[in-house]
Amino acid sequence: MVKFSNKIWTALRHLFERVLIAFWRRAAPVKTPPPTYSTALADNLQMHMNLVMPLADQTPVGRAQAAQAIAANIDELFSGLSNVGTVHFARFDLIGGNLCMYSVFDGDFRAYIRDFICVFGSVFDSLLGLVADPPPSPSALHPEAFIDWIHRHDSFQIPRDLTALFPEEKNLKNLSRDLVLLLDANPNVQLGRFSGYPGVSVAQIRHGAGLGW
Amino acid sequence: MSARGSLDFADLQGNILRGYGKQYVRHLVLTVANPAAARRWLADASSGDESATPQITTAEPWTERRRTCVNIGITHPGLAALGVSPSSLNSFPHEFVAGMAARNVLLGDTGPSDPSKWKEEWRGEGPHLMISVYADDAADREATAARILAARGAFQLRAALEGEGFAGGLVHFGYRDSISQPQFYGVHDPDDRRDDQPFVEVGAMLLGHATPIENLRWEVPQPNVLGHNGSFNAFRVLEQQVAGFEEFLTACADALMNNPLSETLLPPGAEAGWDPPMDRRAALREMVAAKMLGRWRNGVPLALSPTSPSPQPRIDDAGLNNYGYAHDPDGQRCPIGSHMRRSNPRDAKTVQRNTNHARRLVRRGIPYGPHYDPANPVKAERGLLGSFMCASLTGQFEAIQYDWTNLGLQDPRITGSNDPILGNNDPLFSRFSFPVGDNAITFRGFSHFIHTRGGAYLFQPSMSAIRHLASLSGGKTARTR
Ligand code: HEM
Repeated sequence: MVKFSNKIWTALRHLFERVLIAFWRRAAPVKTPPPTYSTALADNLQMHMNLVMPLADQTPVGRAQAAQAIAANIDELFSGLSNVGTVHFARFDLIGGNLCMYSVFDGDFRAYIRDFICVFGSVFDSLLGLVADPPPSPSALHPEAFIDWIHRHDSFQIPRDLTALFPEEKNLKNLSRDLVLLLDANPNVQLGRFSGYPGVSVAQIRHGAGLGW
Repeated sequence: MSARGSLDFADLQGNILRGYGKQYVRHLVLTVANPAAARRWLADASSGDESATPQITTAEPWTERRRTCVNIGITHPGLAALGVSPSSLNSFPHEFVAGMAARNVLLGDTGPSDPSKWKEEWRGEGPHLMISVYADDAADREATAARILAARGAFQLRAALEGEGFAGGLVHFGYRDSISQPQFYGVHDPDDRRDDQPFVEVGAMLLGHATPIENLRWEVPQPNVLGHNGSFNAFRVLEQQVAGFEEFLTACADALMNNPLSETLLPPGAEAGWDPPMDRRAALREMVAAKMLGRWRNGVPLALSPTSPSPQPRIDDAGLNNYGYAHDPDGQRCPIGSHMRRSNPRDAKTVQRNTNHARRLVRRGIPYGPHYDPANPVKAERGLLGSFMCASLTGQFEAIQYDWTNLGLQDPRITGSNDPILGNNDPLFSRFSFPVGDNAITFRGFSHFIHTRGGAYLFQPSMSAIRHLASLSGGKTARTR
């Protein structure tokens, strides 16, 4: 009986929250801030991309198809990533109904994705056939649209300083509300990142370790 | 390889694929005062009727040399002012929509180069368009500019920027400029080619054509008539700290005089055989200047002549661009971090494997301000009015400026150091290093020698696009600031 009333309470609370969020969204919308640049070297190296792409078919069959497609193309993807030259790590995951590509790279996001189109755009185009709302294809003929699409599917990265997220917010008391609205608009976010060797590029690591770059 | 033989030169603005080699330039920095009148001027300037107004110069081959040439570039707010529809405006690439000032951190325009400190004409929404007049003499330039500005009620003049070429093609800092330019398929003569680099697809400059990146084409802003054959221009007003630069060279030469490595760098006595001969300190100053750029100040490339600006046999003008860096992998001749090798690594190994030859720029620059005479130094603003042209501002201009100039991502040995000439250097962190045999010489603690004083991302429409713009309606005037 107690359990049942707890459930009702939770459901009511969620309903209330949803109504409140819908109200806030209209009354005091927040903008997801665009990516910012920094002059500090360490802020321009080891950038993160957390690409979350909902699959068109999220059943085990659809997910198996995605796993097979990655397996069939993995060599080409890896040699492409190596040719991009600025990639520290990249991995492909299936999380829930999403095909995910997580990577750490040096330099500008758009330059990274452009290089990515050049070296394995055609493989990626075929993978994107499995995704729910694919970008215009082929990427090589729609590079800007493709980059914008990747940007939209790249999880928003919450900076260390939460107040920096909402520069136009005058009232600190509203920060929690703003954050709720931001998370409402961005279901996937990155909350923090650590590097054991900040301010060093992948080529510097390879060069230093005698691996060739 | 689409462009060979298939380019309609009459549809292209003439300053993109080739330069005019004119000594006098005036850039009229304008806002649209009255959209209908401005469109009328565009119609007149593309009508072929020289009596109506000076005509926009196309890329059609000349039968005789023109005394003056005119070209235009339009900003994103300028396109809106001329009546381009919101959906068409949105089809332009995002960095052009944002504008140069909004890209300042990425470009390194911070501190004294911050857009908040730019000259008035570039602040706020910035200008709408720039009409550039090129002439062989100052009187022609004056007359042509005056005729353009007579277009009744069309434009409001925010500034007239004057540039004047120095003898021998020199720019401030004393270097010879405008030697390296891309050579295009279908434009330049392959039999007359003295450049080690591959010919370049015109799609590196013009929208709607194959680019140097295999299979990749930049999206053409819509409607097609507006975007096709258009090009982008990152126009920058770059103030040069000439006295500071010369003092830096002197300080470096002084340091080298006490550094035994300088004997490997420049074998003692070699300078006596230079043309003209120099004393050791002066020669070391020139050596540092050459290491910072990648060419001696007279244009001779270090890659071809690492220890003398006047090699024997002489390198003639046509040979000044005929080289690469593949045989100089460590930068013993031309430092990896020099301005030129950073801006175009040619055939050198780069971290981003597919970027060699893929980020070419056409550069059209002219000095402004008085020539600096160290014997009689006059304090005045001086610098370069630089146009950096390409088909993709992010893919070419910004990629060079951010990845290569400011970050040095292309080679792990320079990552984290900035361009010694162009970079926004901070004395706390700056370093410029180059190998000398098994050792290296490193200079530290220098400041920036170049400040950005203004600039804009301009779209350089084709002639068909100019006529299309002239046929629009609506539009708006400048926002009051
Ligand atoms: C006041 C500022 C600048 C000065 C004094 C300057 C000076 C020079 C000089 C003297 C040369 C060699 C001449 C030649 O080969 O044609 C050169 C080459 C070059 N510069 Fe600059 N430059 C400036 C700004 C820039 C900027 C802003 C960029 C682009 C981001 C740039 C990109 C290049 C490129 C691509 C080359 C040709 C390299 C090659 O093809 O090997 N420069 N510059």
